[in-house]
Amino acid sequence: MSESTPVQRRRFLGLALAGTLLPAATAACAASGGGDEPADAGPTGQVSDDNPFGVADGTAVEAVIFDGGYGTDYVSAVAATYADLHGGAEVTVAPSTQIAQELQPRFVGGNPPDLLDNSGANAIGLATIAAQLEDLTPLTEAKNTDGEVIADTLYPGMLTDGTYDGRLVQLNYVLTVYGLWYSKSLFDANGWKAPTTWDDALALGAAAKSAGKYLFCWGKEAASYYLTLAVESAIKEGGDEVRVALGNLEANAWSHPAVQAVFAKMAQAVQSGYFRPGGAGTQFTAAQAQWSQAQEAVLYPSGSWIENEMKSQTAEGFQMTGCPAPSVTAGAALPATAFHASAGEPFVVPSQAKNKAGGMEVLRLMLSKEGASNFAETKLSSTIVKGTVPADAFGSTALASQIAMLDAAGEDTFTFNFNDVYGFTSQNNVLWNGFLSGQLDVAGLTSGLQQQFDQTREDSSIVKVQVK
Amino acid sequence: MKTPAGPRRKLTFDRVSLVVVFLGIPVALYLLFVLYPFTQAAWYSLTSWSGFTATQEFVGLDNYVKLARDGLFLEAVGNSLVLLLVVPALTLVLSFALACLLTFGGSSTGAVRGLAGASFYRVVSFFPYVVPAIVVGIIFGRVYDPSAGLVNGVLTGVGLDRFTDFAWLGDPSTAMAATIAVIVWSFVGFYMVLFVAAIRGIPAEVFEAARLDGAGRFRTAVSVAVPGIAGSLRTAYVYLGIFALDAFVFLAALNPDGGPGNSTLVITQQIFTTAFKEGRFGLACAMGVLLAVLTFLFTGIVFGAGRVLARRGERTGPRGVRP
Repeated sequence: MSESTPVQRRRFLGLALAGTLLPAATAACAASGGGDEPADAGPTGQVSDDNPFGVADGTAVEAVIFDGGYGTDYVSAVAATYADLHGGAEVTVAPSTQIAQELQPRFVGGNPPDLLDNSGANAIGLATIAAQLEDLTPLTEAKNTDGEVIADTLYPGMLTDGTYDGRLVQLNYVLTVYGLWYSKSLFDANGWKAPTTWDDALALGAAAKSAGKYLFCWGKEAASYYLTLAVESAIKEGGDEVRVALGNLEANAWSHPAVQAVFAKMAQAVQSGYFRPGGAGTQFTAAQAQWSQAQEAVLYPSGSWIENEMKSQTAEGFQMTGCPAPSVTAGAALPATAFHASAGEPFVVPSQAKNKAGGMEVLRLMLSKEGASNFAETKLSSTIVKGTVPADAFGSTALASQIAMLDAAGEDTFTFNFNDVYGFTSQNNVLWNGFLSGQLDVAGLTSGLQQQFDQTREDSSIVKVQVK
Repeated sequence: MKTPAGPRRKLTFDRVSLVVVFLGIPVALYLLFVLYPFTQAAWYSLTSWSGFTATQEFVGLDNYVKLARDGLFLEAVGNSLVLLLVVPALTLVLSFALACLLTFGGSSTGAVRGLAGASFYRVVSFFPYVVPAIVVGIIFGRVYDPSAGLVNGVLTGVGLDRFTDFAWLGDPSTAMAATIAVIVWSFVGFYMVLFVAAIRGIPAEVFEAARLDGAGRFRTAVSVAVPGIAGSLRTAYVYLGIFALDAFVFLAALNPDGGPGNSTLVITQQIFTTAFKEGRFGLACAMGVLLAVLTFLFTGIVFGAGRVLARRGERTGPRGVRP
């Protein structure tokens, strides 16, 4: 062939073919690639107190971090220390909001990142990947950069949610305090007090109504915050047996007298018109602004992320303060100061990661005083590390009240996470939107929740988490 | 090296490259991105795959048995079928009526033409289609807001006090209708433009003849325009039907969790939740396979019905008039 055009065309074709087919072929192989062989352990360094996991000099770490309310800079913040300790090696932080979608092919293909913050609406259910995660117990047994054993520096009970099948597979970094949130300034001005029982709450609802306000408001995507509130109240009322029954998806768990007593009180609040109408059709941030900006409702059940989340939509002089969920009666199983504290932002180290030691090392630096204090100061939230928030709580009334709640409760904090483990939240939102707007009664709510439990419990393909 | 002599023309480079580019690549891409994933999904639907492991456990038809007993999934199928029936019907009727107005709904004297300012209306009605579906969903989420939304603002403004704080998307009796209204709103303009073009393709003399014979606008629409654009209508119906079976974007934006009492939960939302939130890809793939079967059935029925109607048309003569 002496003409030049066909030759060029052929080259073009070759390139086009290679260009279109190669990525396609690799993409199509995403699910069929063998990933069973253990990942190459790679070079290891000298294990010492300063390098407890034996990170080899110069080994970089790839971290995928959920880019939500806390951003990702708190992980990048330890990169410099990591570089100092390990011969200038780099920590790459990739932000993501689609954790499950983006990481699914990487787990299947056997090349997951070294560190993953599995959080947000698209987090991977823990039960789904637990078997593919490293046991982080060595991390909690290691010493932080100040020479203290990490486990001794944490608030009590913070590792419970991460334990799966007897192994600590995830480390929840951010301390989350759950309860009711209100404006202390508004309460002081009206002479109101934070409720400690549901009867107090109902009385407060009547008082709020006469002041032209509602007791509660809610948004459609966050209706299940009221499920959290109800379960908290029920556990305070009935004690550990309620927590264990719900956590293990037991038959008739939702019919427990303590749970039913809470539902009855909530239904009474719904019937008395203490819930702001329209929540089932309102976006949750708009609903939350009805509480923090317009102050149409006086209480809102949520976790301590609420301050950060509503920062730009909170009224001037709104002294955001938290209090524990109310009990049903004064004779509840747990004291009034008991409350739901758990840790959020679950960090995991995949077993097939190239630099597992590096992933754990980054976590160790985040859990050191320096890393944890930096988080508390820049995010106005506490990590699970004790003593990183000063007395003035950086001027945040919400953060100060969290620390006060923690001090008052001592060992009396509890946690439950069946919603996250089994991915129930969507269906719970449907049920609670119906209940809070008065379309579903206590019996309907109970059977809806129980049906979900029964179905999941009896489905042998779903791995169950044993709660003790 | 000997090759068997072909009975046909020589394989010149031009011919080969043409076949490769216009046949080879599309077929390869089709095999790789359509058929292969399709068979893959069908295989996964027979496993209990979590979606995050390299291997899958074969469980036979377990997933399908599970789905047949899953009340929530059946509710989602029911809602999808409602969308399949209502969305195309409403959209087609509305967009066809608008197209008729713009093409022959104008002055009844002189040449047959559309309403005055037809081109302005055409641009305005096309507008919603230009806005991405997710944006439409977010906008209407606000429009329907019980306390700060436009709809309730207008309704309470004219004195209908019972709509104060009424949750259009939060009430089981209105959520689906409100959602359908949004979907139809966003599609009417596009199909109107499609039908305008199709009606323009009918010779103007036919319209003039119909008018001389004394046909009013409605009669003209039914007896001249409908048969004249039957092909476009059928294609539009199939497109809209397939879209209605999906409809994920609108529903995820308006009611991400399935709406009040699951009244707006559709199959695609269930697939998403089951796969990514519950980590049960095998089950989700089974749902996907059923959705595909449903789509094929629908398309088959529409084209089948179209063929039957056309055959009957041949027997009774053109445009339903007995010969």
